[in-house]
Amino acid sequence: MQLFFKDLSREYDGKKVLDIPSGFVAGGSRTAVVGPNGSGKSTLLNIVAGLDQPTTGRVFYGHERQELDEVSRDITMVFQKPYLITASIEKNIAYPMKIRDYDDAEIEKRVAELCDELGLTDLRKRRSWKLSGGEIQKVSLARALSFQPKLLLLDEPTANIDPATTAEIERMLIKINNDFGTTIIFVTHNLAQARRVCNRIIFLNKGQLIEEGPCSQVLVSPRQELTRRFIAGELLY
Amino acid sequence: MIPAFLEYIFEYITEQTQLISVELVQKNYKKTNIGDYKKDTMGEIAKGGSEALNLILSGDPELYGIVGLSLFVSGISVLISTCIGLPLGVLLGTHNFRGKGIIIRITYTFMSLPPVIAGLFVFLILMRRGPFGYLQLNYTPTAMIIAQVCLVTPIIMGLTYNLVKEKARTIRNLALTLGARGPSILTLMIYEMRVGLTTALVSGFGRAISEVGAVMIVGGNIKGKTRVMTTYITELKTMGDYSRAIAVGIILLIIAFLITTILYNFQERESK
Repeated sequence: MQLFFKDLSREYDGKKVLDIPSGFVAGGSRTAVVGPNGSGKSTLLNIVAGLDQPTTGRVFYGHERQELDEVSRDITMVFQKPYLITASIEKNIAYPMKIRDYDDAEIEKRVAELCDELGLTDLRKRRSWKLSGGEIQKVSLARALSFQPKLLLLDEPTANIDPATTAEIERMLIKINNDFGTTIIFVTHNLAQARRVCNRIIFLNKGQLIEEGPCSQVLVSPRQELTRRFIAGELLY
Repeated sequence: MIPAFLEYIFEYITEQTQLISVELVQKNYKKTNIGDYKKDTMGEIAKGGSEALNLILSGDPELYGIVGLSLFVSGISVLISTCIGLPLGVLLGTHNFRGKGIIIRITYTFMSLPPVIAGLFVFLILMRRGPFGYLQLNYTPTAMIIAQVCLVTPIIMGLTYNLVKEKARTIRNLALTLGARGPSILTLMIYEMRVGLTTALVSGFGRAISEVGAVMIVGGNIKGKTRVMTTYITELKTMGDYSRAIAVGIILLIIAFLITTILYNFQERESK
């Protein structure tokens, strides 16, 4: 699912935190959104997910430039600190399919597949509050993927997660993008991770879209001075 | 100038107070030694304990009628209060609007509303010369339910608001990003806050079943009609029948214990 941003801005108490006159995210891409703290990364993600409203402008979804209401059931988001429903892991993973009226056999099949792929099979019956941080994030990802969304938004999903789980999550993201063409927008502070997981990158600074392009180009030979300074670690976080 | 109905209430309260005082003096004037009182008190408590057991086992129809009416009045009050307070608490916790602050402060104030004031208010609007006097509800269980709804609704509303304020945004965001809409979001919210909401309901029930002021004023403690456990205890105390009063008090405590046990088990089960 491709995205278009048009005259997109967001203000809080008169202060503009996001200002993107125009922008584009290619359908089927894995796009990293990077930038210093307060650059508007999470605000952009929240607007795309429909959790926040832009002050001006719009986001269009898909080739037909649809509104959010028409496609919102094909979009999902994984948060940095995910909230799991106070139930078993399998109930958490099944929840999005239940509200989409999947039949029980299909739900069981998908839950088993996802648990297997993310190493959660032994934990299926465990209650959500008895999990470690890494396990919580894996359940959150499995839940988000259960209904095969067309657009997956991730807000620093591997912050504070151990390296092994981070690698598992990264592998899973690449896999579902390759298998189903799911568009992925991935907010991260980690440029190495952006390079590992994503094929495109958006650099934001003070709410403005400074540069966008393939990771191989933006991270190696950026066109903008601000991007170069950010990659060199010269911009303050 | 004091309205006629207020004069009537003042007269009634003064008369009752005088009657109680005279009765107490007549009953106790012979006792001069403090030790006598101590012995009597311990004796009454012990007697009350055994009498409570006898009463429970004997199946005393009057007592069971009183217990039944207490549970009915408080149960219906909590049910109605839940229907009003729960949605209002959710609304207050999830929406921002003008005047929200003052509504929250009023709710908090009413959470500690003295039962006699609630009772007096309901009594005045239901009295023969009041705006709803034509309904002739005073001294009926319905009036008692109305008075208790006034007491319990702010408790359920306030506790629900606090709960929703803490968690609603997170749950709503989760629900939205997983594709839930309208009723599904509300269902998920209630499910996720089920333990806290149950605590709010039990707190409301505790308030209802233990209060005496409101039900006494609007119900009048009429035998076989509006007599509930708390008003019965007051009546027994006035009559000097302390052991039976203690017995009824013990039954009230047992009911409270059972309800708390159910809540505790529910919370334990949900956290395992």
